[in-house]
Amino acid sequence: MEFSSKLLEKTIDVFASLPGIGRKSALRLALHLLKIDTDSVQEFTTAITNMKTHIRSCQRCHNISDNPVCHICEDARRDKSLICVVENIKDVMAIESTAQYKGLYHILGGIISPIEGVGPSDLTIDSLLQRIQEQEVKEIIMAISPTIEGDTTIFYISKKIKNLPIKVSTLARGISFGGELQYADELTLGRSIVTRIPYKSE
Amino acid sequence: MYLQRLKLIQFKNYTEQEVEFSERLNCLVGKNGMGKTNLLDAIYYLCMCKSYFSVQDRNAVQYGESFFRVEGDFLKKEKKHRIVAKVIPQKRKIVSLNEKPYKRLSEHIGLLPIVLIAPDDTMLIREGSEERRRFLDQSLSQINPTYLEQLIIYNRVLKQRNAALKQLFAVGSRDKTLVESYNQQLLKPSAYIFETRRTFLEIFNPIFKKYYKEISKGAEQAECVYKSMLWENEMSVLLQENFEKDYYLQRTTKGIHRDDLVFTLNKKPLKRFASQGQMKSYILALKLTQFELLKKEKGVTPILLLDDIFDKLDKYRVEHLLNLLLEKKDGQIFITDTHENRVEQIIQGFNTDYCKFVVVEGKIEL
Ligand SMILES: Nc1ncnc2c1ncn2[C@@H]1O[C@H](COP(=O)(O)OP(=O)(O)OP(=O)(O)O)[C@@H](O)[C@H]1O
Ligand SMILES: [Mg+2]
Ligand SMILES: [Zn+2]
Repeated sequence: MEFSSKLLEKTIDVFASLPGIGRKSALRLALHLLKIDTDSVQEFTTAITNMKTHIRSCQRCHNISDNPVCHICEDARRDKSLICVVENIKDVMAIESTAQYKGLYHILGGIISPIEGVGPSDLTIDSLLQRIQEQEVKEIIMAISPTIEGDTTIFYISKKIKNLPIKVSTLARGISFGGELQYADELTLGRSIVTRIPYKSE
Repeated sequence: MYLQRLKLIQFKNYTEQEVEFSERLNCLVGKNGMGKTNLLDAIYYLCMCKSYFSVQDRNAVQYGESFFRVEGDFLKKEKKHRIVAKVIPQKRKIVSLNEKPYKRLSEHIGLLPIVLIAPDDTMLIREGSEERRRFLDQSLSQINPTYLEQLIIYNRVLKQRNAALKQLFAVGSRDKTLVESYNQQLLKPSAYIFETRRTFLEIFNPIFKKYYKEISKGAEQAECVYKSMLWENEMSVLLQENFEKDYYLQRTTKGIHRDDLVFTLNKKPLKRFASQGQMKSYILALKLTQFELLKKEKGVTPILLLDDIFDKLDKYRVEHLLNLLLEKKDGQIFITDTHENRVEQIIQGFNTDYCKFVVVEGKIEL
């Protein structure tokens, strides 16, 4: 398609680079922004710039946060002896939406997969081990996808803490986690956290 | 069980072709390079979700095109199974059964058992152990879905373990924790695969011996000996004891991925002394045993694809073989030949329903 404006074309290119947005939708969004008043457009750009420049990851759990420590870690009502280990931020959102879990989280930032160049040191495992030593942690719940790589990650972490007096548990099999966690329905997910099972490596 | 109708789009040298088959015997005749083997490969693809000749799907796409589609109607136990494979290499591969796409291709393997006998099967004897493991896996993954599942897991964990060893070596670290996780994950699949292969050969050998005798008309005793490191040691021990070696070589040196079959005649390894004729008989016997075992285990007669059978056997032996196959009341067979009339002459001696197709440059003429 030929555009009479290079500026418009550039905006379309930018939108179309986002996931799930094709060139048609990009054109629609760009034309819409042209139509509305400048202040409203400013609101968009400021929100995006602010988010990008000020957001950080929580020092303790690596969740996204506006402050050095996120509001989940700060929340005095949450049980600090319980840590739920997940792959990514989306998993936290899925588990939070069940309203069944009152402990803290730890976000690994992925799972161990040397084929894809992800080793233990590329994840926040060391920071988890440090947290366990500094905090009074009684139990760790591994809410990690039941795939080969997920199993490896669970096994690796549990090996690293096997000399500490900490309970390790996993979620019941059959529910998919990780990338697909957002699609698991809230009821099953909530129930599987409540009825978690002790982890055995053998 | 048989294939009623096949439709190819941009599969190798077939641009677009639809064809209906006899439920018993189909002869594909044509000169060299016309597309006879390609047609057999398309049928194989519908049953195994991959080509017999190449692991890479892009080799099956017609030159210059981006995708291929193979569609087939199979009749099995009076029920129609429409299988469609639509493949855009490196992008998308969808196989569906009666319009319903499979979530995993491995779920399809074994639904429509198949055996292909090809001229370059002598690789089975001459080449390295990989070919012989492939032969085992072809049979077992069609018979036993759990075997296929465990094999997929084993191969994936093995790949991860090797990548982990490389990384350890690169940074000079001796932290065994990650490798030990993989060791643990290999135990269950290796035990299962070893046990399944072992018991498979126990039922394989008696049938195999019988076929070899029948085909070779000789008195030699033929036997496939299953060779595995797991006969002597547990997998956990093998992995532990060889950590240093694995670390320096940056790959897993022990395990069922090194299994082999030793083909023997009168207890001597075939590789060293066998004549051309003995090798041909040996391979044919291996394949026919595969055929018979699949039939027994699956409760349906597999589709049999005989590619260039005259390359392996003379006219009288082909006649004898077809007699053997056709005296059973069911089963669909495809035969290719470069001679226009040779197969037909033999078949006319039998009282059986058959169709002849002439293959000319990616087109089929009745
Ligand atoms: N991806 C592809 N696209 C187009 N043509 C292909 C492709 N792959 C192979 N071919 C062609 O298919 C032909 C080989 O077909 P095939 O192996 O089926 O022949 P055949 O009839 O079995 O011959 P033979 O009697 O020698 O065994 C060759 O001419 C080759 O160029
Ligand atoms: Mg051929
Ligand atoms: Zn936090």
